Amino acid sequence: MARVLVQLKLRLLLGALRGSNAARVSFILSSTIALLVAIGTFAGLAALRHNGAAVDLTTVIYTLFALGWVILPLIAFGLDGTLDPATLALYPLRTRPLVIGLLAASATGAWPLANLIGELGIVVGLAHGALAVLIAVIAAVLQVLFCITLARLVTTALAGLMRSRRGRDLAVLAIIPIFALYEVFAQVLPKAIGNHELTAASFAEVDRWLRWLPPGLAAHAVQDASTGHAGTAVLRLLLAAAVTVVLGWLWARALSRALVTADASTQGTTIKGGSLPFGRRGGLTGTIAARSLVYQRRDPTSLAYLGLTVVIMIVVSIGALRGTHPVVGVLISAGVGGASVGLQRGDSFGVDGPAFYLDALALSGRRGLRSWFAGQNAAVAVIAVPLILVVPLVLAIITGHPVDGLLAMALGLAATGAGLGIADLFSSALPYPMERRAGSPLPRQAEGFAMQSLAGRFGALIATAILVIPVIVAIAETGSAADAVRVPALIAGGAVYGALLAWAGIALGAAIADGKLPELVQLAARSKL
Amino acid sequence: MAERAGGEQPGTGPPPAEQPVAQPAISVRGLRKSFGGKDAVAGIDLDIGRGSLAGLVGPNGAGKTTSLSMMTGLLRPDIGTVLINGISVWADPAAAKAVIGVVPAEVRLFERLSGQELLEYAGRLRGLPAGEARQRAAQLLDVLDLKDDAKRLVADYSTGMRKKAALGCALIHNPQVLFLDEPLEGVDPVSADVIRRLLKRFADSGSTVLFSSHVMELVEQVCDHVSIIAAGRIVATGTMDEVRGGKTLQQAFIDLVGTRGKGGEGLSWLGSSSS
Repeated sequence: MARVLVQLKLRLLLGALRGSNAARVSFILSSTIALLVAIGTFAGLAALRHNGAAVDLTTVIYTLFALGWVILPLIAFGLDGTLDPATLALYPLRTRPLVIGLLAASATGAWPLANLIGELGIVVGLAHGALAVLIAVIAAVLQVLFCITLARLVTTALAGLMRSRRGRDLAVLAIIPIFALYEVFAQVLPKAIGNHELTAASFAEVDRWLRWLPPGLAAHAVQDASTGHAGTAVLRLLLAAAVTVVLGWLWARALSRALVTADASTQGTTIKGGSLPFGRRGGLTGTIAARSLVYQRRDPTSLAYLGLTVVIMIVVSIGALRGTHPVVGVLISAGVGGASVGLQRGDSFGVDGPAFYLDALALSGRRGLRSWFAGQNAAVAVIAVPLILVVPLVLAIITGHPVDGLLAMALGLAATGAGLGIADLFSSALPYPMERRAGSPLPRQAEGFAMQSLAGRFGALIATAILVIPVIVAIAETGSAADAVRVPALIAGGAVYGALLAWAGIALGAAIADGKLPELVQLAARSKL
Repeated sequence: MAERAGGEQPGTGPPPAEQPVAQPAISVRGLRKSFGGKDAVAGIDLDIGRGSLAGLVGPNGAGKTTSLSMMTGLLRPDIGTVLINGISVWADPAAAKAVIGVVPAEVRLFERLSGQELLEYAGRLRGLPAGEARQRAAQLLDVLDLKDDAKRLVADYSTGMRKKAALGCALIHNPQVLFLDEPLEGVDPVSADVIRRLLKRFADSGSTVLFSSHVMELVEQVCDHVSIIAAGRIVATGTMDEVRGGKTLQQAFIDLVGTRGKGGEGLSWLGSSSS
């Protein structure tokens, strides 16, 4: 069974490689990254030799790897055919050989190997003496086994949920904390280390807790062996192995359950209310806005974009906020927020997908299309504008210059208007189908449209940046003499300018889309959402 | 069954299927579409009388979906004209779209709306006041046996439920002509019966229905007019009796289109008598 499943995994991989150039490129890219991670982790762990906090840091690194093993397969669910027990449910298989087989399949591939190689870095970093080296090798292998078993348990236990609509929705939303965490590691931590706010000693406190989890047990076993406590070292490894075995047993139970039950958690869900908003003064604009507003609230992709917008608005400003001119950070936050709202809507027809036929049957002429764009923009603005006003204001208050937040409102309003207007223009001029692919929680452009999507995004960013220059100049002029009269005038000016830009985008977008509505319907129908 | 969703009843009296087609509800002339040099629809002519319940049958890939998409203004033809009750779909799309309802083959709807919201949305898109749209949506959901699922998201609907919801969207503005592409594909027998009865009632009131299918029994049961399409051409069209010519529709269809495949020769191991 183990052989069959390992072969299955390799065949699935080879099949995907034969399928397309994109798959080949992504495989090479993924293998290269795996190799770099392996080398980097090994070097990182090895470099801890003679570091006073080596064992604390190793514990933290090992725990982070385990965390990665839990989170990544949930996002990549559907990418690895052997991850989902449902694919095997039809075959007459007993649980025990299946468990061993799936474990072997999990351990096959570039990433598990990269993990093992990288984590063997403790042989150099922590181990002192022959016995310690032996313990280190066992500890590294045990750590990888623990990670795989844990990941399997979590994916199997959640497999039913992951296949359901609600589970897929949650997976989309999971991108917000993951992106925020990534930004903390990529932006905040290096700066903290650079400013000596975070030192190796800071990890001692974390280690006090983490040392009792299997990754910590593995790291501390090596430390114990190096300091002559072979007995405790072996005990720690045995404890880690026991936890892994228990997880394996739990996984086997979850697997035998998953093979015979289906998730029904979405079957009973109903929505409250039940009527679309804007019934009173609807018209076509109100009707489209009503549907878009419901989507802004219920569609996990829209919610994820909003969450990401907030994270980006905070992250891009951090550097400048800590500098000598915090107002620059607040302004960047507002400008980037507005632009990213435009990016979300830059392919309106593709994002609506095949369901656009329903709208198209009711749309005719420029007037109808203007209503369509205006309705969508209104719904997006209702949710996004408050965020774009509040986030910079909060940042400004935190830095102790609340007036900066008021100045940023003018820029935020103008940038949102510019972003939405340009999005309408690009939606009509450069439309492309969207696709939701396994392994990517947010929909992306369909295969073959990468250049178009990239051109659209860059074009939109650059155009937004150019269009808001007058507002930035106005803020610079006002900034030195911000007073009670000028600031409200500036905000009103930004709002009017933004509204004008949005209106111009609606008119241009409708003019371009008019006459090619059937083509837009066919293109939207190619979206797989 | 609840009352048919309001609005004026277009056309009166019994269906004039047997009369000469004086002013057809759907009139297609020389409709042609090719993709990458290959003819998907190779010039079709078709007349469907008012009040008719017409079927368009053909094997997979014959051009049924392409033809229906061009007739409904959703796919631009290379050449040809389509008139719906005398209105040209491609010269005056706004006026033509106002009088038609469409259920596409692959029903993908606004998944994050509930069934009730979706139908109400479709009604409001077609210019119905919100209250009227809500009322008609509720009535249609009732007739389509979706009342209990009205507040569930379309994302959680089964294929059959989606087809019924799409049919509701297509009917809510009381169109004069209804186009359906494979309306009963993936629909359970009970729902199929609901849809069949609704279509019959709709056509009996004087409205026109054209639907594509490759299920001959269904077409034979409900349609008064049938057209057979193969390789992008209409190979037979007329009343059911004319096209059948004394045979079953299935036989007439196979005679016209020809058979394919070897019927399982060479699979000597298949079946209980083998081991």
